[in-house]
Amino acid sequence: MSEQNASLLPKGVTQENFNQAVNKFRALLGDENVLLEQQQLVPYNKIMMSVENAAHAPSAALTATTVEQVQGVVKICNEHRIPIWTISTGRNFGYGSAAPGQRGQVILDLKKMNKIIKIDPEMCSALVEPGVTYGQLYNYIQENNLPVMLSFSAPSAIAGPVGNTMDRGVGYTPYGEHFMMQCGMEVVLANGDVYRTGMGGVKGSNTWQIFKWGYGPTLDGMFTQANYGICTKMGFWLMPKPPVFKPFEVIFENEEDIIEIVDALRPLRMNNTIPNSVVIANVLWEAGSAHLTRAQYTSEPGHTPDEILKKMQEDTGMGAWNLYAALYGTQEQVDVNWKIVTDTFKKLGKGRIVTQEDAGDTQPFKYRAELMSGVPNLQEFGLYNWRGGGGSMWFAPVSEARGSECRKQAALAKRILHKHGLDYVAEFIVAPRDMHHVIDVLYDRTNEEETQRADACFNELLDEFEKEGYAVYRVNTRFQERVAQSYGEVKRDLEHAIKRAVDPNNILAPGRSGIDLDNYKKS
Amino acid sequence: MSVDRRFVLKGMAWGSLAGLTMGASLPSLAGVSGAPGAGAGSRPVVALVGRETADSAFVEGVRASGNPMQLQKMDSSLSVMQQLDMQLRSGKPMHIIGLLDDATAALVIDQARSAGARVNWVGQHMASAGQSRHHLLNTSLAEGCSRQMSRQLHACGAGFSLNEERSGSTAPARQLAGPARTMAHSEQWAASLGYLLGSLGVRRPAMAPLVTANRMPLNGSFVSFSIET
Repeated sequence: MSEQNASLLPKGVTQENFNQAVNKFRALLGDENVLLEQQQLVPYNKIMMSVENAAHAPSAALTATTVEQVQGVVKICNEHRIPIWTISTGRNFGYGSAAPGQRGQVILDLKKMNKIIKIDPEMCSALVEPGVTYGQLYNYIQENNLPVMLSFSAPSAIAGPVGNTMDRGVGYTPYGEHFMMQCGMEVVLANGDVYRTGMGGVKGSNTWQIFKWGYGPTLDGMFTQANYGICTKMGFWLMPKPPVFKPFEVIFENEEDIIEIVDALRPLRMNNTIPNSVVIANVLWEAGSAHLTRAQYTSEPGHTPDEILKKMQEDTGMGAWNLYAALYGTQEQVDVNWKIVTDTFKKLGKGRIVTQEDAGDTQPFKYRAELMSGVPNLQEFGLYNWRGGGGSMWFAPVSEARGSECRKQAALAKRILHKHGLDYVAEFIVAPRDMHHVIDVLYDRTNEEETQRADACFNELLDEFEKEGYAVYRVNTRFQERVAQSYGEVKRDLEHAIKRAVDPNNILAPGRSGIDLDNYKKS
Repeated sequence: MSVDRRFVLKGMAWGSLAGLTMGASLPSLAGVSGAPGAGAGSRPVVALVGRETADSAFVEGVRASGNPMQLQKMDSSLSVMQQLDMQLRSGKPMHIIGLLDDATAALVIDQARSAGARVNWVGQHMASAGQSRHHLLNTSLAEGCSRQMSRQLHACGAGFSLNEERSGSTAPARQLAGPARTMAHSEQWAASLGYLLGSLGVRRPAMAPLVTANRMPLNGSFVSFSIET
């Protein structure tokens, strides 16, 4: 087995110290679970961000299979001050992929901890390990004919509930706010203790996946988008499979329509007539998801002009905005709610309603309907082919679910992206009161000049949105320090005080969400 | 050989132009311990191709490398990815190379990581109007490949720029470029790439292929890779 050479080590760690740690990792995990060769590390280092791969290159990767091994890894890391970057399935593509936040960090890959520990079809709950994928869960549910339904993000089959929830990702069903549906975590702390949230600390408890809050402070949230512990088990609620599922789309012709769409939709979301995380996708998100490419319409550099977008709408029947939602329940419930929905859009006087019967198997309706009913697919990866070149960074500011605000954000984002010669490829994911405005900043990584433009564009998006009081809810590792600054110094001071208390050696994912004892206020 | 596109094997003349050493061996990619026979060359080659690359100069380049090769069509659908996952986890030694669209390749490379496969080479390629750009991430076991590719492109007058990052290295990225002197070889990058990836770990054939495009060139964005199971 080759030794790691001195060219790539964790920050502040000597070769000798690193080698000693590696020997201990091997003794703990076995040689095959300590990856040091570059051939083994390259796939952890394919990034989509606007920096060279080297900025996020790992020095090693470890794979653990048990909680005890994770505890052992943490112990060794403390002894040798080795920083570890934990991933579950590593499918956080637009938000940083599987690469560590900082060059030289050791990846702890939990893909082999992939047991579905329990699914309770009566209480509609699940308990899983971090390496479990939604695809694996879907197959289990199908094979056992369980009357429950999953909610997942668009990479669905290959992503997993633990990673997605720990990054506060969302899905498209009524259970689409995944952290809200989380119930009970097991976390390995930096000192090696195993902490269970909620009811999990009570001996013999059978309510760990039933009641979230337990007693006293409820700490689950502090482990999400954070570096205070390593989640080794997570419980979450499953939606009972409804007898009737009715997906539909409403197509709107003009960009300005977003104001009326959102204002008409909000009451339906708040009163639960439409219970799921609705999506409003713009024409380019729709086009990429339907596997159209920019090259089919233009070879000119820069952003795609509005005339071409209109031409695409005419050619394909796609709207400037395309709303996807669904109704769930008994036939009686769905019938009543369908009347309310159709009356609402009839009153609006805009919007062409498309049902499953109208759409048949056409894309993107088909994959949207699948996502809203818990059926995994990979259709949305087509976005990466819209422009091509391998660059993708998701800019995801939070907006009020208020039409004027959505219009303001959309116009601001489009202006900045166009200034940098890039396309506004966006969707709004609609909760009752907030919207995740998700923009895929797509660019060509083979073009150094365009890569620099994309980087400048992302910075400008952050700056200009911040001036308007907006901030993102999630970001890739290139910009995590910058985004942390948006949320203010008091929050950061508190986060670092907690970090000093629970991880004084700063071994767990330093830099995650800007939390890093080695850098914060050291200058 | 395609009726629309033909390889012109110019033998010594091309070899001389490209500055190649006849019969030299390309680096062994799986040589973890450096043991003979442990490299990619001892494994069956599976070439993954998509709709646009299935009949491209890339495939002809792979074929010209002289290794037995199985072509496998890929797309980004879940069923196809599940099949690949089974292949990757089958325990059979394979050398999987390919040239695919961005979406499909992103999934393939990630599936390889999950399955514990080794990845020696990931290349991002953009081609249009007779020019090509290449951003490579590879390991020291692919030493010489980018230089060889650039020599070939330079020799035939195909315009290109190439940026190569060596995984784990502190050295700055290597940057190579050549001006376009002719549009006749706009697909040469794909042929050279296929030839190099197909040749990894084996004796190189005596002649390097020169491809002349007589139809629509392979334009757009693609990702190449070399994976070992």
